[in-house]
Order: sequence, then structure tokens, then C-alpha cells
Amino acid sequence: MDALLDFARGPLFRFSFIIMILGLARILFLDLYNAWKAYRKAGDKTMPWKLIIIRSLEWLVPIKRIGHNRPVYSVFSVIFHIGLILVPIFLLAHVQLWKSGLGISWPTLSYKVAYWLTISTIVAAVALIIGRIFNRSSSFLSRKQDFLWPILLLIPFVTGFICAHTGVSPGNYRLFMLIHVFAGDLIFILIPFTKIAHCVLMPLSQFICTLAWKFPPETDDAVCTTLKKKGAPV
Amino acid sequence: MKTKRINQKEREKAFTSQRKPDVIEKQKLNVRYHIEDFNVNDRPRRFLEAFAAILRHSNYRMALDHFIRMSAKCSRCATTCQVYQATGDLKDIPCYRSELLLSVYRRHFTLGGMLKGRLLGGGYLTDEKIQEMAESFWNCTACRRCTLECPSGIDHALITHLGRYILSELGITPRALVVSTREQLEGATGNTSAIPVPALVDTLEFLSDDMLEEKGVEIKFPMDVEGAEYVFFPAVSDFLMEAETLMGIAAVFTATGDSWTTGTGYYDGINYGLFYSDRILERVVKKIDSETRRLKGKKVLIGECGHASRSAKYFLPTYCGGKDAFPVINIMEYTYDVLMAGRLKLDPNVITEKVAYHDPCNIARQRWIIEKPREILKSFCKNYVEMTPNRENNICCGGGGGTVSIDEIRPFRTTIGGKLKADQIRRSGCKILVAPCANCKKQLRELVEDQKIDCEVVGLHDLIYKAIIFDDSLKVDKKAEVETSKEDK
Repeated sequence: MDALLDFARGPLFRFSFIIMILGLARILFLDLYNAWKAYRKAGDKTMPWKLIIIRSLEWLVPIKRIGHNRPVYSVFSVIFHIGLILVPIFLLAHVQLWKSGLGISWPTLSYKVAYWLTISTIVAAVALIIGRIFNRSSSFLSRKQDFLWPILLLIPFVTGFICAHTGVSPGNYRLFMLIHVFAGDLIFILIPFTKIAHCVLMPLSQFICTLAWKFPPETDDAVCTTLKKKGAPV
Repeated sequence: MKTKRINQKEREKAFTSQRKPDVIEKQKLNVRYHIEDFNVNDRPRRFLEAFAAILRHSNYRMALDHFIRMSAKCSRCATTCQVYQATGDLKDIPCYRSELLLSVYRRHFTLGGMLKGRLLGGGYLTDEKIQEMAESFWNCTACRRCTLECPSGIDHALITHLGRYILSELGITPRALVVSTREQLEGATGNTSAIPVPALVDTLEFLSDDMLEEKGVEIKFPMDVEGAEYVFFPAVSDFLMEAETLMGIAAVFTATGDSWTTGTGYYDGINYGLFYSDRILERVVKKIDSETRRLKGKKVLIGECGHASRSAKYFLPTYCGGKDAFPVINIMEYTYDVLMAGRLKLDPNVITEKVAYHDPCNIARQRWIIEKPREILKSFCKNYVEMTPNRENNICCGGGGGTVSIDEIRPFRTTIGGKLKADQIRRSGCKILVAPCANCKKQLRELVEDQKIDCEVVGLHDLIYKAIIFDDSLKVDKKAEVETSKEDK
């Protein structure tokens, strides 16, 4: 089991982490490249930058949005995201791993904060799953990945919590740690290819959505020519 | 805000179809709006060809790529959509509607989708799916309210817009819109209401005579004045249906003395291209540009009409020269400016009833004109009330996105599309509802009639016409007195 754990923590982690970074870099690059191409083609290049920035910030820090619409869902969603972002990055144990591996480190969460953040993330994830199943419109819209993602994200949080905060026996500790690391690796690999890509694309959304209405000029003629409809009546 | 859904009886009424079974059979399409006959063969292939051609010559690919990666299916949009809130039909959720087209894009235009399709089979575009899109995209009023609530920033109205554009290339577009556009672009009159120039001139002279009688002031509609500051393009239907709005606008210009003109070459602000085809959008916008050029005008002035304002403001720069395009302003902006500059006087004792303001989606959603009409109204209406939600979060009248022009779906518009708006109007208790948009006005009048609400729907300038105070120097009898006294001297 130790060898497996070393593999998951070593080569597999490096592989999946690199896949994630490269995958996210790819879609971020594609998004920006497409936006640049669209902007160049657009007939009207004036962009309401102020409005785009305001709306983007309103969604990145969605305090104003919470009570607005589906408040219970929104509160749990925000709590979930806070834990999901902060705990994996700033957990002392994780930072120590980075330090021993690459020699880099950064500030960490205190034991107590990490403890409560983990619990709140787990509770929020369960609430979101329940919400998705029982909310009529959500469950109708949901694809398989929408149900599987919160479950998959729960695994490292639950196993991590067990390892860090319960007096689990050394044998079980290794088992839970193995599940913890494997689940983490799987998540890293899947991120760029699924909806979790929004972790890097989200800040661009309002910009893309505004730019999308900036059409290129002279498309009437071009589309007509391609569809062989030139001179056809309306 | 919890809405009571429509009941079975209302549902039956809303979904009544006037289309004959033999037409549905012949066109192989079961939708509620009338369509001109079109080629029914091989629709999926032609749909994909049109989709490919549009993607090649447009910027839609950027947005679609972004949307398919982002969509988290959170269903926040469901709570804002007035159609879904009224019907409770899950297929009316904006995100579901968008997915109809996004799934076609994913399957046929992305590498992953094509590979998956090849390996696992299935997922092809079928006639049934085209039928579903033809129905669904015209249930949306393109009000864009859902876009404000989407954390992923998915613009469902953009997808509806694109979906309708592709369908139009197959010939699937409501007949009412196509017939009007054909007259506008290829007909003898060159406008959507088919008003010939002599009839227009007659109408306007008649209005001037009326105003002279009512106000004692010579209020003209200047025609074909070269070099005017503002070239005026109202929704052309205003000449037939909204005389008071036009009178209000003419009265404001008479009071300020600024130069404005209506061109007899082209005088229609309506642009149904915004609702169903970018190709039409471009052609119509270019007509505005060429008429303004012909008259050597300086600015394009759009009347009280939401979609006409948006299509000119945002697409004149797109299709007619970017930064060098003619500046576009809406009449409410002009009136606000002259009111604030003290060049316009309004009597605060004329309008005493409870007045509310309805934000047209095409003007307010992008935070373009929100406070100005409110300031104007508050300056002379004693009893002004707000409907909530309002401003950029306003609820659509239920006839947006061109649906108001489709008469055969009136039961749908007034039972489902406008249900939330009707509730909102009732709650506000207003007796006068100001809607500065030709689309909204027509829809809201039908709505208050069908829903039996005691409320009058008017334009902003209708009220201004009632309350405007002219300088004595403009009064015809005073003018005559001045002239006589000059002669005496």
C-alpha cells in the first residue's frame, strides 16, 4: 500500500497536476485567442469596459447576488466554493508537501479554520447534491457530470478530514490517504475537460458575452455567397 | 417572488393553434405561428449547412465554445424567465432551450463531439429536434433577463437569436415578420407597415392641423430637410397607431427649435433582423445609414421603440463604419437633455393619475437608458410609482423578440408571456402605464385588455404632449398680434 501511496503522491500527482495546468492553459488560451479574433473582426470595437468589470466582479464576489434568486442554493454554493478553493491550496499539510518537493511555500490556514472550512464544504456539497436531486428544474437540467462532480469533490474532503481530525488507526489512515490522493489526482485530470473549466473561464464570461454581440460587418454578402443565396428574395 | 402558474383552462387557451392540420402536415412542422411554405426535405442537412456558413462568417464560435465549457446547469435562469414561471413547463427553462442548439454545436462542430459521435454513434440532428427548436426559440421573448442571473454568463438570448437565424435560412420564420421585412427591403413603400409617402405626408399634415387646433401652436413635422441635426426614424407603425407619441415628439422639437427631419426616402426604425436574422439586421441598418447620408443629417434619432433603438445604437457602428458611424440617440435622451437645460416646460398639474414606467428590455437591460425617463416623469407627474423589479431587472412585457407582431399567438403572449407583467401592473395599482416602445405598447394594451386590468398604456411623449407649455411667442394668435402691432407701428 505504501508503494501505491508513493506512486499516487509522486509520479501520478505530477502527471495529473501537469495535465490540469496544461489543459486549463489550453482552454484559457483558446478563449482569449477566439476573443482576440472576434474583436479584430468586429465592426464595432467600443466595449462597455466599466459595465463588464462591474458585472464580472459581481459574479466573482457574489455577495449582491445571494439573496436575489434561489437564496438557499446560492448560500450553499458560495460556502462550497470558498472551502473548495481555500482548503486544498492553503492547508498546512499540502503546503508542507510543496515545500518538501519543490522548496516553495506560502501562508497557511490555521488548524481551526481548516477544520471548520472542511466541515462547511462537506455540508454544503451534501446540500447541493440534495438540492440538485429534489429541485424540479435543476434535476431536469442536470447531466451525469452534474451529479457526479459534487460526489467526487466530496471524497478528498471527507477522507482528508478523517485522516487529519479523527484518531483513525494507522492501517485505515493509509487506506483513507490513498483514496484521498487518488481522488485528488482524478479531479486534476478531469478539470480541464469538464464544466469545472469554469475555474479559469469564469472571469472572462461577461466579456465574452458582451463581445459576442459585436458582429463582423458585411456578413450578409458572405453568408449569401456560401449558401448560394445571392440575389434570392427575402 | 413566487408566481402562481397558469391553470389547465388558461393553458388550453394559450396553446390554441390557428394552423390547419393539412398545413401542419404539408409543412411537416407543428408550431403555433404561421410560416410561408418552404422546402421541407432534408432539413437536418440544410440546418447544418446554414449553421456552418454562419459560423464561418461570424463571431458566434467564440461564444459557443465558451458556453459549452462553462454551462453548470444551476437552473438560476429558471426563476427569472417569465415564460417558465407562468407555464412551469421544464422545456421552457432558458438553459434547456439553449442546450437544444449547444448540443448540435457540440456534436457537429467540435472535435470531441464528432469523435464521440463516431465512436458511440447517435446524437445526430434530426427533424424532431428541428421541430423542437422551431417551437422553443419562438416561445422566448429574447428579453435577456436570464442572462443577468447566469453565473456562467451564458447569454441565452444570443443563442435564441442564433437559433432563429439558422432556422430562417431554412425558411422557418413567422410569416408576419417575413412579409413585413420583404416590404421593407424589396417592396414599393420600403417600410414594414407599407405606408406610402403621400399617405405619410397626409397623416402628418393632419396631425399638425390637429395640434394647431388643440395647442394654438404651429407644430410641424419637417420633411426632407437637408443638413438637419437629427434624422428621425420612429417605429413606422407609430404613424398608424401612436399619433400622440409623434405629436409629443414634434411638440418638444417645436418648443426647443432644434432642427430635425423625417426623410421621405426611408422613415422606418423597425428592424426585425434583430429578432431573426443578422443578414436582415445588416440590410435594414444600412437603409438608415444611407437615408441619413442622403439628407446630410448629423445624428440618427430613434423614436419610442426599444428594438429599433438597440438595433440602430449597437449595430449602426457594426455595419456602417465603426467609430465613424452616425451617432444614435433615443428621443428620451434628447427630451431629458432639453428638459434639464430648461428649454422645455411641462405643467405639473395636468397628469394627476398614478403613473408607472415600464422599462423596455432592449433599452434597459444593458443599463443604457434607465433614469432619464424616470426623471422626466417625476418632473411633472405628481403620482409616480415604481413597479418592482425594475430598471435592468425589469420584467418583459411578454411580447419581446418580435413575438408581438405575430398576431396568431396573442393568447400565448397575454396568458403566458405577459403573466408576470400583468401581476406586476396590478400590484402597482397604476392607472397610466408609460411604455416608451412600440412593441411593448401593443403587447401591454392587449395584455391589459385580455387580463382585464384597469390601466391605460401610453408612450412617454403622449404625456409630454398633454403637459407641454409653449412660449407665448410660439402661439399663433400671439404671433398675429405681434405682427399686427408691428404693421401698426
